[in-house]
Amino acid sequence: MSAADSEYGHLIPLLEEYSGLAADDPKRERLRDELVTGFLPIAQHIARRFAHRGEPLDDLAQVATLGLINAVDRFSPEKGSDFFSFAVPTISGEVRRHFRDQGWSMRVPRRLKDMHVSINGAVSDLSQRLGRAPRPSEIAEQLGVPVSEVLEGLEASEAYRSSSLDEMLSSEQGSATVGELVGEADAELDRVDFQEALRPVLGELAERERTIVLLRFFGNMTQTQIAEQVGISQMHVSRLLAQTLDRLRSRLDPDTRTG
Amino acid sequence: MPEVDPLGAGEVSGTVETPGTLVEVRTSASAALIPTIRAVASDLAARADFDLDAISDLRMAVDEACATLVDVAAPGSALRCVFDVREELIGVHAEVDVKGAGATAVSTDTFGWRVLQTLADQVELEADGARVGIRLHKRADAQAT
Repeated sequence: MSAADSEYGHLIPLLEEYSGLAADDPKRERLRDELVTGFLPIAQHIARRFAHRGEPLDDLAQVATLGLINAVDRFSPEKGSDFFSFAVPTISGEVRRHFRDQGWSMRVPRRLKDMHVSINGAVSDLSQRLGRAPRPSEIAEQLGVPVSEVLEGLEASEAYRSSSLDEMLSSEQGSATVGELVGEADAELDRVDFQEALRPVLGELAERERTIVLLRFFGNMTQTQIAEQVGISQMHVSRLLAQTLDRLRSRLDPDTRTG
Repeated sequence: MPEVDPLGAGEVSGTVETPGTLVEVRTSASAALIPTIRAVASDLAARADFDLDAISDLRMAVDEACATLVDVAAPGSALRCVFDVREELIGVHAEVDVKGAGATAVSTDTFGWRVLQTLADQVELEADGARVGIRLHKRADAQAT
């Protein structure tokens, strides 16, 4: 671990300082950021070890980072162990748990999982280039595979349970304009008669879900445009929107469908 | 020299549906069967080469329309859903028998109706006393709204 010592040596005293701080110490946040940033290559290295198993590397890196944050928070130097022998299993454990908990809701062949990852990448490239959501034929052309494989892959994507990683990790919204766009959508909501029934139910949603619903139904934006603003994939927007509509429907029924 | 067919246009399983295809799905008017109907909707849209936004929009619109109709359907009645796959457009007509005359009508002053109006390019409510239907269509290109 001598190479690691030289690379991360300067962080060890910070780690000791961090673990000694009171929970409400104002220095905590800055120190934590510095530690997480400093140790980030470890998390990225572990994430890469799990790549090519059907989960996007970006997701894995996020989960590994979450594991790293846990490791930084829970590490206590006074117990005598060094940080690496504590952090590595903590981070790997988090990534393994991701595969177990957040992955596919049914057995999907490896080939289709790989196709799902390829499709996701192609969709994001093509959306950027075309300025709209691509068609299956365009995805197939981009990937150099038959349309039938793309159709199969899209179908398999329905079995992919979206992780709530984005919610766990970032509280800040994607782009600066999201707030403005939500404001405009909200003003539009003011103009509809059912706003009194809808507002309290919207208020129960997580911020990201509420943002997506407002932008889609009151902000006149497509899923692809929303995906770009909020900083998640079109397929993720699609899943969140469908889930949220389902939830809103069950919550709204008694108020709106009688009489 | 083997023939290369990168778009798979020659494969039966991957070909785009011929425009003018009619598909009818008939189920009990039960919420539990709506996932089956919306799966048909999204499969038809994907095979008709709709863009991903339009596929997802149509799927959710069919979900919403069917949920609305199941809600007012007479007990034990059927939900009938006809898909009309045309050039760059899919029309959907969903319909149920309602619980006798004077039954609770579907209101268009709801969030559910707003959802339908946003997701579909056009949507209409049809009611003739004994039956209530929702007719909508969706173009293949979600952007062009």
